Amino acid sequence: MLLIDRLSCQSKLRYINASVKLMYAVLTLALCVLSRSAAVAALVFAVNGILTAGKGGIPLSLYIKLLTVPLAFLIAGTAAVTINISGEPLDAFAVPVGEWYITGSSAGICQAFRLCATALGAVTCLYFLSLNTVMTDILAACRKLHMPPLLLELTLLIYRFIFVLLKTGTAIMTSQQSRLGNRDFRTRVRSFGLMGSSLFILAVKRSNALYDAMEARCYDGSLKVLSREYPARRRQFAFVILFELFLGGVWFWCG
Amino acid sequence: MSYCLNSFLAGCGFGVDEPEDMEYNEMEQEKNWVIEVQDVSYTYDGDGKKALDGLNLNIRRGAKVAFMGGNGSGKSTLFLCLNGIRRPDTGRICIDGKPIRYTRKGLLEVRGKVGIVFQEPDDQLFSASVYEEISFGILNLGTDEETARKEVERVIEELEITPFQDRPAHALSGGQKKQVAIADILVMHPEVMILDEPAAALDPKHTGKVEEIVESLTAKGITVLMATHDMDYAYDWADEIVLMHEGKVIRQGTPFEVCTDRTALEQASLELPAVVRIYERLKEKGRIPGDIAPPGNVDELIAYL
Repeated sequence: MLLIDRLSCQSKLRYINASVKLMYAVLTLALCVLSRSAAVAALVFAVNGILTAGKGGIPLSLYIKLLTVPLAFLIAGTAAVTINISGEPLDAFAVPVGEWYITGSSAGICQAFRLCATALGAVTCLYFLSLNTVMTDILAACRKLHMPPLLLELTLLIYRFIFVLLKTGTAIMTSQQSRLGNRDFRTRVRSFGLMGSSLFILAVKRSNALYDAMEARCYDGSLKVLSREYPARRRQFAFVILFELFLGGVWFWCG
Repeated sequence: MSYCLNSFLAGCGFGVDEPEDMEYNEMEQEKNWVIEVQDVSYTYDGDGKKALDGLNLNIRRGAKVAFMGGNGSGKSTLFLCLNGIRRPDTGRICIDGKPIRYTRKGLLEVRGKVGIVFQEPDDQLFSASVYEEISFGILNLGTDEETARKEVERVIEELEITPFQDRPAHALSGGQKKQVAIADILVMHPEVMILDEPAAALDPKHTGKVEEIVESLTAKGITVLMATHDMDYAYDWADEIVLMHEGKVIRQGTPFEVCTDRTALEQASLELPAVVRIYERLKEKGRIPGDIAPPGNVDELIAYL
């Protein structure tokens, strides 16, 4: 998560209007998932790779590393579709185990392949958004879309305080380590518990202090903020729409 | 003099909306006090000890005032009271000659006039985006979006935040966070700016930067109240030093007056500033004439030699 946050700040596509990026990511994701077409998914996968690693300047090795993260889920998910345990052998493969067969159908394999492609394509859409847009810009774009303010305010505060608490937690852990707090399993568990409880108390204290500080700046219950604006270019919108139409066409022709 | 006035005012009663306000408003205009604190006491819930104990204090408009005193002497509580975050149990606080009204509108007015830069920037910065962070206060004052945008951009420029304005808050250094914390308040155009130990945990470079910003505040006519433990800096910078101890002001005066009051300094567990110590020793030894005015800072002392 920290890695994604750091990369999103360095991305060369960072200053492109967040609404354009959000629109692109959401529409592409929707088309990719709805079509269930391997051709669409492959196209999306390729285009997002070029955009993120090429145009965005995210190091390719890191991008590939990030793509392997959902792989475990993918394998588990596709295994469920391809591998059956049944009394009758199916057409693709069958391994006899006693009375039963571990077996799969070619239709199942086909489906698993499509599922895999669709999932990877969808993941690249989300990676495109999160690797090229900083969190606060995504929130600002959501604000423009009139998402519920409470949800956005909570996200804003949670996002900020993940890092504050992470910093505090790391500091506590370091100080525990410097006092042999992780000598063996027992002390390690104990230290971790102690850190958790003191972190909780600190979080409560912090939230009180933050509330005071916000009140000192005339906080009245709604978090009003302005974000920096990066103007959206018509050309960018046009590109997105054209691309989505093209994807729709691919879906239609290649099924 | 100020103490006489205070006891007179205290005699007038310290209810929140007394009719005799009008009468001494005129006196205050003459004195030009921006803040008056009269017999203020405050106790935190569930704490037997009074954090503020019958505190009296007047602050002149445009002054540079250093607040000194040990931890727990009540500085931070006083600051929160001045901004209406904490409501005194007894006594009253006047800003611009008007007692603080603890209504929504009254508090809005006070908080627009008195701004606090908190000691720990991580307790103050709530947004990961510097721009959003700075825009918060001014929008709360009801400023329209376009003006707010201009003001935010002006302050970013003025406090030299531009180089790191696009970085998320958690990627900023302590000094940069402090700059943003000051911008947070400055954008609201306060009359009084309270800085709670602004140089705590900063390196010399950023301390210098903060000091520079503080000087520019005074140049703008903003009254600056600063809590600090740095006696040498307070002596050099302040027009007035306020010594606090156990929720009371035990001494208020020019830096030299306060620094020569050994009993008060001892009570607040503070050391004499180096300049004063050297100056007194030199005078004792007859190295500098006895009738010479006390030096305001090290450079002045060197000039005497």
